[in-house]
Amino acid sequence: MKYLMLVCVDPALDQADAGTDAGTDGEVPIETWVAETDAAGTRVLGDRVRPAADATTVRIRGGRLLVTDGPFGETKEQIAGFDVLDCRDLDHALEIAARHPMARHGYLELRPFWVE
Amino acid sequence: MSDPAARDAVTAAFRDGWATVVATLIRVTGDWALAEECAQDAFEAALRHWPVDGVPHRPGAWLTVAARNRALDRLRRSTTEAAKLQELALLSEPADGLADGAAGGVDDDRLRLIFTCCHPALAPEGRVALTLRTVGGLAVPEIARAFLVGEATMAQRLVRARRKIRNAGIPFRVPPEHQLPERTAAVLAVVYLLFNAGYTVADGVAPIRGELTAEAVRLARLLARLLPDDPEVQGLLALLLLTEARRPARLGAEGEPVVLEEQDRARWDAAAIAEGVAVLDRPDG
Repeated sequence: MKYLMLVCVDPALDQADAGTDAGTDGEVPIETWVAETDAAGTRVLGDRVRPAADATTVRIRGGRLLVTDGPFGETKEQIAGFDVLDCRDLDHALEIAARHPMARHGYLELRPFWVE
Repeated sequence: MSDPAARDAVTAAFRDGWATVVATLIRVTGDWALAEECAQDAFEAALRHWPVDGVPHRPGAWLTVAARNRALDRLRRSTTEAAKLQELALLSEPADGLADGAAGGVDDDRLRLIFTCCHPALAPEGRVALTLRTVGGLAVPEIARAFLVGEATMAQRLVRARRKIRNAGIPFRVPPEHQLPERTAAVLAVVYLLFNAGYTVADGVAPIRGELTAEAVRLARLLARLLPDDPEVQGLLALLLLTEARRPARLGAEGEPVVLEEQDRARWDAAAIAEGVAVLDRPDG
């Protein structure tokens, strides 16, 4: 199954801490996570994205195209990146997500791909 | 065979076999709704046939095969590709894998069912509802009444939980060793919550609530048998048994709570106390 994994920043956490846990509680650097998941064929695609300030939202309401500055949500949480994972099942995806460093410094949202 | 005896046999088979029949069909077809409907049909067929033909030698196997045949009927009438694949899976499943008595198979299927119903990716109220429906075999109206919500709300909750299992790819399995302690804790939380829901309300809906505590004890017993080496599981079973034992004496004639010192101990359930103490006394427990 394919999952879109959204990598989100938690503004309540100090991002300066990111990476400082490395090695102490099993945290691995992002480079390791990418290398591992790429080697296993689990990560289909992934990248970082520019912050919410650079986001543009598109919608059509009442037949009119509305293009607005900013992200679709009012939330302070921001999507920092994404990965497309190809996993056996949700438990497999959960393990991959839990190993991502942002599981500690933000959070990860897993969205299964739509299949008919 | 007389009618009441056959009925008792069906009731007993339901208690012992419902979860097994459902779990086996889910494992083979991957379709939760189909599994539940066909299990339901199989028990209804038993109510019709057993009084006439007698209770089969192996009731569990009879029920599983009846449910499988029902599922095959339904799948054959469907034309989707998914249905064809499910049909093939059912046909290629060896009879031993479907019937009871296959080495470890029955227990494995039931454990898979419990762990999947209590998967942390499901909403907590969905876990509880699904466990009662799928493992416990309670009907939707019963579950709705026990949790004081409308039937439509409860039915919707179940639909949502089953849909999430399918769409999010929640696997039907016992978690691997390294995830087991965490996931077992999630299962125990559901059992404990069930028990509490039954224990805390005193009046009005008491009979149904009593069923909830009994169901929680039954689940804890099943888990204790399936996971004999887990001290947390044994501990929860003992706790529930010893608490449940005092239930008959908890309330006075007016439904008022009676403090422990003043309870009529003759009304405590001696058998439940003995069972609970025995669980605690187990050398490895």
